[in-house]
Amino acid sequence: MIIDRPVQPPLIMNTRKTLLVALAAAPLMLAAQDRFATRNGHIRFFSSTPMENIEADNNKVTSVLDATTGAIEFAALIKAFQFEKALMQEHFNENYMDSNTFPKATFKGKVTGFGSAELKKPGTYPVQVAGDLTIHGVTRPHTGTATITVDAAGGLKAVSEFEVKPEDHRIEIPAVVREKIAQQLKVSVDLTYTRM
Amino acid sequence: MNKKTLLVILILALLGGGYFAWHQYSRKVDSAADLPSTAQLSATELLEAFMVDEAAATTRFVGTTEQVIQVSGTIRSLEPVGKELTNVVLEADNELAAVVCEFANADLPAPWRTGTQVTLKGICTGFLLDVVLVRCVPVE
Repeated sequence: MIIDRPVQPPLIMNTRKTLLVALAAAPLMLAAQDRFATRNGHIRFFSSTPMENIEADNNKVTSVLDATTGAIEFAALIKAFQFEKALMQEHFNENYMDSNTFPKATFKGKVTGFGSAELKKPGTYPVQVAGDLTIHGVTRPHTGTATITVDAAGGLKAVSEFEVKPEDHRIEIPAVVREKIAQQLKVSVDLTYTRM
Repeated sequence: MNKKTLLVILILALLGGGYFAWHQYSRKVDSAADLPSTAQLSATELLEAFMVDEAAATTRFVGTTEQVIQVSGTIRSLEPVGKELTNVVLEADNELAAVVCEFANADLPAPWRTGTQVTLKGICTGFLLDVVLVRCVPVE
């Protein structure tokens, strides 16, 4: 039996549309809506094993945070991850991440423990983050902690560290190099927002 | 061929193979300055291509392996990213989107300011809100 299901547009399309609409509507929004955005967010991932350390940086992460609702989204281009060694970068894109097929990673979720009240008081706030993390075309629920810092000028900085298991996102690592890549990759996110 | 000659050939082959493997392993990523451009166009044309058909533009400008493209435009803003990088944001006739080009500070020409007309080349990595180029260098 064939069951008709509504076709879901790809998450990244939703993400970009949401971000574009959010940016487009920014001048019309009331200040109370407290939306923040960045196009220069930083994600680093780090793999540490006795055989080898591997790290890569992406400084082109796009993110929007709505402090009123706690909604947060970010997106990163896989090919914008930069490695020190060319061979690592080539293997990352071609063998593991299939970046031609899955060019973006996205997160869409919600921050709790931070809102309009905290936004008015400069300080550092520990928060909880929960949402859907899509890597390599595989979406998995993700929960974690983060820290949001409000500076005196009203700017926001959010940092978080978490771990990702490649197998959770169907990233296959050949047995011959498995010992060189950590079972859990450490990921750090550093987003400095400006008010929209 | 006697055993001595064979041994020398074997050692040379091992040394050569070892050197090749080490060279491949430790090879740094190519600078955009060392690679030919596969396309030359304005920032407006580049953004338009991605807005109209992202898949086709990705195939053309991002490709399956790293591609360098040459882009011309006017600097909308210069945005420091950490201590070592600067984003050169090029106008692209769109208030919401642009072409963002990441430079190592060492590669960024000192005279470049907001409003300067520039030509640069870099590796196109795709499209989020903006078209993103990394490892950019100026084109004189």
